Amino acid sequence: MTATTMGSVSHARRGPIMSPGWARLVAIFILLALWEIGARFYADPLFLCPPSQAVGALSHILSDPKIRNAIEVTIFEVAFAFSMSVSVGLAIGLAVGLHGFTKQSILPVILMLYATPQATILPLFVLIFGIGPAAKIAFGVSHGIFPVIVTTVAGVQNLRPQLLRAAHSMGANRWQVFTSIIFPHMIPSFFTGMRLGMTAVLLGVLLAELYVSTAGIGFYTRLFAESFSPPDLFALISVLAAIAVTLNELCRMAERHFSRWNIG
Amino acid sequence: MTLLDSKQGNTHDPRRKMEQNVNRGEAIIKVEGVSQAFGAEGDPRRVVALESATLDIARGELLSLIGPSGCGKSTLLNIIGGLTTPTTGRVTIDGHVVKGPSPQKVAYVFQENTLFPWRTVIDNVKLGMAFQGVAKGERQDRARQSLEAVGLVDFANHYPAQLSGGMKQRVQLARALGLQTEVLLMDEPFAALDEQTRMVLGEDLSVLLARTGKTIIFVTHSLVEAVFLADRVAVLTARPGKIKKIIHVDEPHPRKSEFMTSAKLGNLRNELYELLHDEIRKTMTHQPAEAGA
Amino acid sequence: MRPKLGFGQRLIQLGVLILILVAWYIGTMPGHINPLLLPPPAPVFKDFWQLLTNSNIWPDLWVTVHEWIVAVAIAAVAGCSLGYVISRSAYAVRVFDPLLAGIYSIPAILLFPLYLLFFGLGAGSKIAIGTTIAFFPVVLNTIAGLANVDKAYIRAAQSMGANDLQLFWSVMLPAAFPVVLTGLRLGCIIAFLAILGGETISSLAGLGHRIVSLAENMESAQMFANIVFAVLMAFIINGVVSFAEARGRRGFQ
Repeated sequence: MTATTMGSVSHARRGPIMSPGWARLVAIFILLALWEIGARFYADPLFLCPPSQAVGALSHILSDPKIRNAIEVTIFEVAFAFSMSVSVGLAIGLAVGLHGFTKQSILPVILMLYATPQATILPLFVLIFGIGPAAKIAFGVSHGIFPVIVTTVAGVQNLRPQLLRAAHSMGANRWQVFTSIIFPHMIPSFFTGMRLGMTAVLLGVLLAELYVSTAGIGFYTRLFAESFSPPDLFALISVLAAIAVTLNELCRMAERHFSRWNIG
Repeated sequence: MTLLDSKQGNTHDPRRKMEQNVNRGEAIIKVEGVSQAFGAEGDPRRVVALESATLDIARGELLSLIGPSGCGKSTLLNIIGGLTTPTTGRVTIDGHVVKGPSPQKVAYVFQENTLFPWRTVIDNVKLGMAFQGVAKGERQDRARQSLEAVGLVDFANHYPAQLSGGMKQRVQLARALGLQTEVLLMDEPFAALDEQTRMVLGEDLSVLLARTGKTIIFVTHSLVEAVFLADRVAVLTARPGKIKKIIHVDEPHPRKSEFMTSAKLGNLRNELYELLHDEIRKTMTHQPAEAGA
Repeated sequence: MRPKLGFGQRLIQLGVLILILVAWYIGTMPGHINPLLLPPPAPVFKDFWQLLTNSNIWPDLWVTVHEWIVAVAIAAVAGCSLGYVISRSAYAVRVFDPLLAGIYSIPAILLFPLYLLFFGLGAGSKIAIGTTIAFFPVVLNTIAGLANVDKAYIRAAQSMGANDLQLFWSVMLPAAFPVVLTGLRLGCIIAFLAILGGETISSLAGLGHRIVSLAENMESAQMFANIVFAVLMAFIINGVVSFAEARGRRGFQ
């Protein structure tokens, strides 16, 4: 019988064995165990390693100052690109969204750019900005700015013009109107845009880093791959994944917290 | 377009009229001490939807269940139809205890739209038969007959989305009729329609149902509809629902439009109103708004 | 959250496109922008035309498209199967749906170096990343579609005597179909983007690879022509997939 079996429950049903949270942990544990056993006994160590070895490699990965530096640079790039995406994206989003004319004329262009596959212009970015952090930051901004703009525009969409007019008639200046009416109204969408923006920035920066294999973490991923050291590669990727998940989760928590403002 | 714009026209089935007056009919459905409670004993949130309902329904009878919101009338219908198992008590149909849906004996017309939007009208009717187990070769003809009976055979190849609310309900009825069961259960079948449409459909339904000779139980909120269509009207109290009183409507089938405006119907309706009035008040003060239980 | 565009706005897009072309022409006149970074329009158009008529892009296009088709096929089969299995139990849905959604939030591109290690530089690693990334919208949407079938349909079918098999084929599958189709469309689109990304990072053939080689050789005009071609391909695939979804949804809603 499927999950959607009908019928009211008129007799007590025996509950599940354990809560879903625990079940998830058990499932993950089982997967890790299978991976461990499979890799240890069946896999070619040049291509695949068990999770225990990956964990072991963590310490010497993180203790290598050059690798640590590469990771730190990446985090810095993400942070910088994120702040730029959010601030510039917010500004553009407000400028576009608040005036009907700009919305009609510029938004379609923005959407057109949003839809292009950015991997194709990655080499161009590197040609323009070089192989240093600038290219990665630029590429990150190029990814992150669009969701911020689009959600900001959507956020101010529902703002009733009467509110603005009422404020103006009471003598509020631009800044007061912004802080007391516009800003609170679009906070929920803004935080959604931030969350989407973070995901996009991570994608952009990581893509750029992996592409530039002469320095940064791209260098090390290429190194570990070409020298067939799966434990080191797994360890490095786990660190990056953990950072990405943490940043995503922070944005998600912020979004959940601020969406309770829903002024609607 | 009325329910019965078909070539067959109205038929007075004298045999049925005789049955009405002479043979009250033996009970085909027996409801014995049925109760329905949600939540365990001692649980403060426990809700007793239905309490000790006992009722016999005669073969060929048309019974209406009426009562305030949340009084358990839909629950009782679901229990009779085998869609819900009662907490205590049991229902038998033709001597067999009801333990689950009985598609061979009982067809159900739901309140909400349950026509599958991805199939045409006639395919919906045929699918019902497929579920029941009708042989493939028979389905087409039976489906067309059912649609003719409800006056929608011209819409056989339309999709439900192209039909109005009233038409969709008629298709659901056709689907149920196509199953050729002895018992038909209808849960507020006209709830979604406006009153005028309901009145006209009610008249047509009376003719149609008289012709089929089925045993029919239907739940309704409309007092007039209950009196107009039914042989007996069972009034339920506010929650926990008990059967307060059963009113007899002694009027031959099929019911004509003159009955609708007669004093007899008016009196019966008033009697129903007096029975229900207090129960409705009780519902309004005690219970939050919710869908009929 | 992307708004739909009307005809007037399409006109504006066209207008802006023309504006960009004009700016491009003026900006690349001698003395302005470095032609290595931004070549003038004429050679780019010439190279683009050459691409379409008598060049060797077609084998590379086939490599990319082939990688995409295989990735989508595997993701579709795996995603729908796993989605079906999980949807059979409400408990399984509560356990695995958030888990899958959580894994989906890890940038999948991080797996690519691992795939390079395991599958090498050839098509295998691109298919792998395409499959990985397309798997998630498919499985999540399949679960959502099957687990959220309107209970009224199920009650009605069961009241008419439908057995489990009939219930699945005649009610749940058609009811879930539009949602599953949307998941497949999303999967198709992000798989293509992931494959282009993978080819850019490291590959031996394919559209992304061409762009990278031309960049490394500083063949700017040709690189631009290839970029335009790849973007065009992406739009065509988007269009085809969206059209297929719309057609598939018709008659199911």
